Amino acid sequence: MRRIVATSIAVFMFMTAAFSGTYAKPLNIPVVYYKLPNGLKVVISEDHTAPVVTVGVYYNVGFRLEPKGRTGFAHLFEHMMFQGSANVKKFEHAKFVEANGGSLNGHTDFDYTNYYQTLPSNRVELGLWLEADRMRSLDISEENLKNQQAVVSEEVRVNVLNQPYQLFEWISLWENAFTNWNNAHNGYGELSEINAATIEDVRNFFKTYYAPNNAVLTIVGDVEAADVKKMVEKHFAAIPSQPMPQRADLTEPPQTKEKRVAQTDKLANLPALATGYHLPPQNSPDFPAMALLVQILQSGESSRWYQRLVKEKELTLDLSGGLNYFGNEFDYTGPMIMTTRMTYKPGHTADEILREIDAVIADVSSKGVTEKELADAKVQYRSNFYSQLESSMGKTHLLSALALFRDDPQQINSLLMPFENVTAAQVKAAAAKYLIATNRTVIDRVPEKKAADQKGESK
Amino acid sequence: MKTILAILSLTLFLTTALAQQKTPPAPGAARPLNLPKITEKKLANGLTVVLAPLPNIPKVSAILTFRSATTATDRKAHPGIAQIAASVANEGTDTRTSKQLKEELRSIGGTLSLGSDSDSTTMSASSLAEFSSKLFELMSDVAQHPSFPETEVKLAQENTIQGIRAGRADPGFLVNERFQKAVFGDHPYSFVVPDEKSISALTRGDLRAFVAKYYIPNASHLIVVGHIDVDKTFAEIEKAFGSWKSGTVPPDENPPVPKRDKRQIYFVNRPGSIQSAIYIGNVSIPRKDKDYFAIRTASTIYGGSFYSRLTRNIRESKGYTYSPFSSSNTLAKTGSFLAGAFVRNEVTGPTLLEIFYELDRMRVMPVTDEELNAAKEYSTGNFSVELASQFGLAGRINTVYTFDLDKSFINDFRPKIEALTAADIQKAAAKYFDTYRAAIVIVGDWEKVKDQVTPFGDVTIYDSEGNVVNKTASTD
Repeated sequence: MRRIVATSIAVFMFMTAAFSGTYAKPLNIPVVYYKLPNGLKVVISEDHTAPVVTVGVYYNVGFRLEPKGRTGFAHLFEHMMFQGSANVKKFEHAKFVEANGGSLNGHTDFDYTNYYQTLPSNRVELGLWLEADRMRSLDISEENLKNQQAVVSEEVRVNVLNQPYQLFEWISLWENAFTNWNNAHNGYGELSEINAATIEDVRNFFKTYYAPNNAVLTIVGDVEAADVKKMVEKHFAAIPSQPMPQRADLTEPPQTKEKRVAQTDKLANLPALATGYHLPPQNSPDFPAMALLVQILQSGESSRWYQRLVKEKELTLDLSGGLNYFGNEFDYTGPMIMTTRMTYKPGHTADEILREIDAVIADVSSKGVTEKELADAKVQYRSNFYSQLESSMGKTHLLSALALFRDDPQQINSLLMPFENVTAAQVKAAAAKYLIATNRTVIDRVPEKKAADQKGESK
Repeated sequence: MKTILAILSLTLFLTTALAQQKTPPAPGAARPLNLPKITEKKLANGLTVVLAPLPNIPKVSAILTFRSATTATDRKAHPGIAQIAASVANEGTDTRTSKQLKEELRSIGGTLSLGSDSDSTTMSASSLAEFSSKLFELMSDVAQHPSFPETEVKLAQENTIQGIRAGRADPGFLVNERFQKAVFGDHPYSFVVPDEKSISALTRGDLRAFVAKYYIPNASHLIVVGHIDVDKTFAEIEKAFGSWKSGTVPPDENPPVPKRDKRQIYFVNRPGSIQSAIYIGNVSIPRKDKDYFAIRTASTIYGGSFYSRLTRNIRESKGYTYSPFSSSNTLAKTGSFLAGAFVRNEVTGPTLLEIFYELDRMRVMPVTDEELNAAKEYSTGNFSVELASQFGLAGRINTVYTFDLDKSFINDFRPKIEALTAADIQKAAAKYFDTYRAAIVIVGDWEKVKDQVTPFGDVTIYDSEGNVVNKTASTD
């Protein structure tokens, strides 16, 4: 009884120390970081809030690096990682994790592919064993490939092809905004290319990218770092590293003129509009100001674009988007666009909406934002940031991205500081520099039915 | 050269083969689950307040539930009023405009939104912990003094109508709407969205009267979880909510629960669909029913987890679909059990066959010990993960108060799951996975899939607006 009380007091004090202060200050999240001789990056962070642990493996390959003629391949490959390995039969990864009280998934993104399981913390070694087995000895068979090609085709149908709008604010916008194939192509994949993938493609991709020296293993939860280190050594140390190929050139030529695209939609009932502005790279001094500008313009119902378009002018039903279509400021490396998506009301036009979008930008780039607006945006930013750190999975994600792309997961504790230091003048300058028509792509997507009706009416 | 390479790779192979363990490692000693201490208090006006410290991040998360404002409330006079009231309540109060409210929320790192469902209206809100008193002040203002400005009401009416029109293009929306109607019939639980006429008919006066009558402290509870000190937080809540006037709690309604007498297909025709969206299910049980744990666990084994029977069959073996599922949705008065999959047109009939086969298998034969133990571990393990997040814990506590469950629900969860036997699961499946009287709802292209569908029962065909366009009999 007494032991339990002591433990919970200790937890409380620890957490208070980890996040202290009214204004953002460096955090104190414990991070152990090292590399195995085979190149595997390992991050361990103890968190004794609850008896759970997340084991995540992040590979440094996303759909930007999939082969030409094989759109959707990185994601198809992710599915193959659940098809068994030397000591784990097809789909048994799910069985082991769930039968041990856990949950699991994988995700393919622009620049990474991750695999993760959250388990009761005393089963941490099971998670390590499962991840090691597939990193070392993925079982690749023709039959399983056929099966997963069918499954992924259904995934694309349910999420894209049978849906109104067909994720145009991602797939079409990227196809149009970027010129370099690696950045521009459809990452979910064309059905014909998904189904053209061969067993050799799968083998090559596995050998090339799914090597310990191209991955981060992250363990966050109610564990002792010293114990976990031994387990990691036991299961991962003998997996051989692989020569890394020359990385594809992801650079994007600067955009010099606005791109406008008109599309019709067979399934939608209402028109929609998407915009994408190229962002400065993450190491640019303009980046933190840009991130706060994105927040001020389009995060939540207090944001300037939401207020203008949804509330004042009543042009759009909604407004959503952000700085990274899938993730956050830290979990990508290649060129990125800020996206915005609106469903708009029939009877209005894309030009009317763009006029308002531009008027808001003009206001920021000429008059700037108020000190109060910026201070509040920082508070909101910090609050959202803490929410990302709430679960063991949330912390795993951030630590893994920082290890993968910056080789420095300790940064988690000081990540907020550059954003905290942004000035109103920097926000104003960022708006003037990046939110210009020549830096953007616009897609206006109108229901086909409506386009036909309007023709009929005009007869 | 060649030989050396061969020897080298052989050596490598041996090293790796020896190093990797063939069988899964055994678990270590279980770590203790220290559940936060939950404190219940009551304000003089009747508001139940439940507090649980969970200082995992420096934030506070709150759920305020109005138990008398359900989608059934005043449904005869004003269908859909609870939903519109919830969407406009945070668009202005007697002392704050909508914009001021949103800006104040931003200044505390906050969120605040409302939603209504079959059993309540809930306000979910959060902020940085240091601003908790401000958060309670804003929540209380929205609960007590929403002003429903004329312009905001008009805008919400128009946007709701347009939003529903946009939704009617989405197969997921359509299949859910038709399923609720098919299963719950005349029961108020069949409500999904109001029709355009009902939305347009609502006035500012209607909304103000609704809120005054049903957003009352003596039929509400406030759950607060986060980086809090119980006494200090309770004092803040008392200050913010103490002036809220109690009202008259409306009598509990108990409209008859519908009972299906045959299997029937409800087909929503969506020409041009390249997939059939399929929901199959029936009425089940209310949340307080003793079979809650059995049917929940039966669903976990059937289609409610990744390694479930349905996923192994129609995804991993046959490749018909991406994400088949099942769920047991238990509410205050009754509930539903549902199995679903979105599949390409060509395999619509075969999918129906397999969904029914797997349902019947659960009814006819006991699950294996291995399956049962896995489902128990899955449920209890994931329950612990849920309780480790502020909104996860708040949500669990909220169900206890919304459905009037035993206060020991959270502590009893594990033993109740662990006590289940294969016979319990089979009995629940036999009773509630009722394939003979199932509602089969499909959204798809009728012309493309009709021949695969008609062998399964009589069909009523709807358009995407919900109008009946045709009926066919399987014997035609």
